[in-house]
Amino acid sequence: MTPAHPHDTSLFINRELSWLAFNERVLEEAVDSKTPLLERVKFAAIAASNLDEFFMVRVAGLQQAVEDGETSPDLSGLTPSQQLDAVRVRSQAFVAALYRLVTAELLPALASHGIRLLAYSDLNDSQRKALGAFFAEAVLPVLTPLAIDVSRPFPLLSSLSLNVAVLLGAAPAESDCRLAIVQVPAGLARLVRIAVADGAAFVPLEEIIRAHLPQLFPGQTILQSTMMRLARDAEMEFDDEGGRTQLELVERELKRRRRSDVVRLELEASSSPELVELIADQVAVTPADTFAVQGPIDLRVLMGLVELPGFQELRDSPLPPVDVLTGEQTDIFAILDDQDLLLHHPYECYDPVVALLAQAADDPDVLAIKQTLYRTSGGSALIASLQRAAERNKQVTVIVELTARFDEERNIRWARALEEAGAHVIYGVRGYKVHAKMCLIVKRTPQGLRRYVHLGTGNYNEKTARQYTDFGLLTTSQAIAEDASAFFSTLTGYSDPPRFKKLTMAPTGLRQRLLKLIDRERRRAAAGQEGEITAKVNSLIDDEIIEALYAASRAGVRIRLNVRGICALRPGVPGVSDHIEVVSVIDRFLEHSRIYYFFNGGDEDVYLASADWMTRNLDKRAELMFPIEQPEHKVKVLDALRAMFRDTEKSRWLQADGTYCRRTAHADEPRFRVQEALHEQARRTAAMARERTGVTFKPKSPRRLEGA
Amino acid sequence: MTADTLAPEAVAVLDMGASAVRLVIAEVAAGRSIRVVEEASRGVLLGRDTFSGGVIRPKTADATFAALEGFRHIIDTYKVQRICAVATSAVREARNSELFLDRVRGRTGLAFDIINEAEESRLVYLAARDALRGHAALRGAWTLLVEVGGGSTSLMLLRRGRPNRSGVYALGAVRLRQVLDLRRHTHELQVALLKRSIANVVEEIAVSMPLERVTQVVAIGGDVRLAAAQILEQEDDDGVHEIPGEKFLAFCDEVERLDDDGLVNRFRLPVADAETLLPALLVYRALLAQTAARQIVVSDASLRAGMLLDLLQPGGRLGADDFEGQVLASAEAVGHRFRFDRAHGHHVAMLATRLFDDLRDEHGLSKRDRLLLQTASILHDVGIYVSLRAHHKHSQYLLAASQIFGLSDDETAVVSNIARYHRGRSPQQSHLPYVALDRGDRIRVTKLAAILRLANALDAEHLQKVRDLRLARGEASWVLEVDSAGDITMEQMAAKARTDLFTEVFGRQLVIRLAGGIP
Repeated sequence: MTPAHPHDTSLFINRELSWLAFNERVLEEAVDSKTPLLERVKFAAIAASNLDEFFMVRVAGLQQAVEDGETSPDLSGLTPSQQLDAVRVRSQAFVAALYRLVTAELLPALASHGIRLLAYSDLNDSQRKALGAFFAEAVLPVLTPLAIDVSRPFPLLSSLSLNVAVLLGAAPAESDCRLAIVQVPAGLARLVRIAVADGAAFVPLEEIIRAHLPQLFPGQTILQSTMMRLARDAEMEFDDEGGRTQLELVERELKRRRRSDVVRLELEASSSPELVELIADQVAVTPADTFAVQGPIDLRVLMGLVELPGFQELRDSPLPPVDVLTGEQTDIFAILDDQDLLLHHPYECYDPVVALLAQAADDPDVLAIKQTLYRTSGGSALIASLQRAAERNKQVTVIVELTARFDEERNIRWARALEEAGAHVIYGVRGYKVHAKMCLIVKRTPQGLRRYVHLGTGNYNEKTARQYTDFGLLTTSQAIAEDASAFFSTLTGYSDPPRFKKLTMAPTGLRQRLLKLIDRERRRAAAGQEGEITAKVNSLIDDEIIEALYAASRAGVRIRLNVRGICALRPGVPGVSDHIEVVSVIDRFLEHSRIYYFFNGGDEDVYLASADWMTRNLDKRAELMFPIEQPEHKVKVLDALRAMFRDTEKSRWLQADGTYCRRTAHADEPRFRVQEALHEQARRTAAMARERTGVTFKPKSPRRLEGA
Repeated sequence: MTADTLAPEAVAVLDMGASAVRLVIAEVAAGRSIRVVEEASRGVLLGRDTFSGGVIRPKTADATFAALEGFRHIIDTYKVQRICAVATSAVREARNSELFLDRVRGRTGLAFDIINEAEESRLVYLAARDALRGHAALRGAWTLLVEVGGGSTSLMLLRRGRPNRSGVYALGAVRLRQVLDLRRHTHELQVALLKRSIANVVEEIAVSMPLERVTQVVAIGGDVRLAAAQILEQEDDDGVHEIPGEKFLAFCDEVERLDDDGLVNRFRLPVADAETLLPALLVYRALLAQTAARQIVVSDASLRAGMLLDLLQPGGRLGADDFEGQVLASAEAVGHRFRFDRAHGHHVAMLATRLFDDLRDEHGLSKRDRLLLQTASILHDVGIYVSLRAHHKHSQYLLAASQIFGLSDDETAVVSNIARYHRGRSPQQSHLPYVALDRGDRIRVTKLAAILRLANALDAEHLQKVRDLRLARGEASWVLEVDSAGDITMEQMAAKARTDLFTEVFGRQLVIRLAGGIP
């Protein structure tokens, strides 16, 4: 995309390369021998899975752009074909490094701890016999070998599915070899455990199939075989015409996706050039997008090993979420009537949010529940509560985002269930993804209507609430409640966008507001005052925001950015961004919260938000930013935000050249690992609060959580 | 109201204006303040239809139904029972308004009342008075309250905070655009056309209101609030904001230089808001220029806030003592327009209310009816402005077409009929304005006209000689005892001649006595 005004392309880092740098940082965690082994394996699997997604979305987009003849450069001045070239080179190198790590380091290390991934050739006779029986009983019945010839075209292999490609000898009276495909059934576990004397040993399902190929092609000569996997273009394209509902559109799009263009082909490095060419030709993939790998295809298989029970010594020591509700407090409404709660997950537990929904579903005085759902976990207690509330004739309005990438099929299922329970389910908003995270409960009390609002930086997902760092605010603030009601009325189409009192919404005002807040610091600094901006986002790739930050830096504003992933801003460029620092933290929890801080001449503004500083978030998504106003909540958020910049263990600093470096710690500097420190702080705070409520008489109306 | 009067009640007020339908959900509790729970609005361009073609077109009607169905959903969230919904000029002036509102009711269950300009002014005034409570702007000698809406501009002149005069003028932002067909012209020509037509109306306003004495201007309305937020660089536009005159003018100049697209980009406005901003600001500016005010006070008061205040007061508009004074002040202003004999009007009103009070057990009418009698008494002779001959008939149509602040259309019709029967024949089935009233109002008119006839006769010479009177039921007749200052032979004769309707209504002959003597 080309910005409307001329800019210096050298001041921007290419988005795709910045993303690849992020994934390299993830890989670094897998490389780092200080990381416990199973955590290293997990990071390797995550890096591999991230790359799959990157190809299906970003690389696919670049390929499409090149195919369409687009030549307009991005912010960094690279044309689509230049970007594609750079991405191919760098991702080939990445994949090579990843496989080197997995096969040469991680798998041998796992084996030394008794966790073995075995090839068929490693097995003894009895093991082979057992697997032979397993194959005949459980696998063979669900296999469908497909031979390919003139009358039978190459099958539509679904994206990321694993397949065995088999080269068969020429049939009698023919001269050419033939290709056949055996799809590895997705319904069966990828890892088959076999009995061994000690530890845990697995054989991948595809190895078992491959060992039994002669049974599938009786009487034919199997010349060679390779595992192969395709990645297809997953970019969603919506056709807004024809009056289809959003739900139908997504269902149709999902069907289309199974057939969409192949963006990457992976096969084994041992495959003969002949076989590679044969397959590449069939799926229409260029050599540049063909990855010949040395090791198991689809490294997500490693997740099966990570999830093995036991082996605690190979993992991070657990950091269980701290329970912030002390004493016998169980009535979440009563608690919130006394105080607002600011929760920092996963250091603090997510239970209050789950409890709020559960209690709302059962409380006869609750009139309505309104909720956005972007990505949520299967079997979610939150959805069960919403369903129960709807069945009890409460007005339940759920704005479901169906275009949340890769989660669509799962979303459609529970959305239908909610609808059947009587909830008013809104399948997204035309033109905008609803990314804001908010829940509003309307309750009747003897004093009148009372509203309980939850606002968060993360999705309503109990599972990720244990893995992602996010903030959530539970409040009964009248002004926020009024805004919350107006927000839902706007998204449900019942009202035009209102003027909010406390909240700021994208796409209607967030960009302007952020630019104003950044500019306010700039003006203060230009007038000789102190100026400071500290922010935490997952990605920063908006030219307007970046230019505003450069302008602020030039005026002398101190800017510290904690950007986990993509960052198109180039820090430390003399005369441009001397006062900007960018740090990325990759550790056991996925950094996910969005925090914006502005010094404002000492009258500090602290905001939490669902939005990253990306063009798409500011313009194409319904997002929310909300202020943190209670002094002790401000302190809590700011402590967490500032701690990100003190990390000595898991942080990398972005350099002016676009590379990331670990900070060289001073010799006497104490070791500081921010995620562990924040957990420790949460634990201590809760313990102190518990202690106090234990020794003192509990006031009827404790105003605040103490010691926060 | 339920037995549990302490619990706040959730209410909904809706207003259907020229460019949007709006909803406020609030909690009201008697004796307590109003708490807004949720506000919503949907842009619906009713005014564009009405002010250009005179009717609401099917497509606009459908958009309105859709918007109101959404509002219905919001209302149901809070299980609201009490709903008050009004429509203003865009619906009021549409030829198909009744059919349209009937369909609204059918589709959404929402029953909208069309309110007249005076009622609109009254509600806005209620809101402004509440929003500006304690503010210097309402304590000034002369304050001008201005609301430029989509369909019209509502003005109220306050004398030391109390309504003195009011008027509603066809200067709405949407109406101006439609009537002048602005879209056909260049931006420069648009500005020139707007300025010219606004100047014409403002000139007319200056004739009936002493604008030059005004030292405080209070502005109400979405466009001016938007201007205030921009000028003061504030995120929200709640509460009361004071803008120095020169800053306001500078902002108006800036807006004037931008066309609609420019406004959308400059202030990030929805197109509908951008379209009304310039016409509205030009109206405010033209009015401000006529006054001696040095600043403009922008308030977030609104029609809806007024409706909520009206709901908060048990019994609605009754019982608001200061409100009676406002109706009478407005009547006075109408009287001035028709060069009435002020002393006579007020004297007759005094006599009539004395009679009304003494007859309380007899007529069974309310305090509100007393106010209608008072108003009709003050204004009964305005028809003389047209012609002395048959002036009671002229009074009827002049008053029927006048805006008397605080009176509904039905009440204005009652007042005009009372005035009609202050002389001449008694009500007949052939009198169209009379038979147009419903039965209750016809009886009301007859009773009050009987009183007015008598009171008017008692000031036959317009010399205010009857100082006071007492009416009591005698053995077989009504005995009227009058205190006089001077010879009242003429008045006695006139009264005797005008007791026909009185006798008919109150059942007995009337005997008039001079206090302290015999007739």
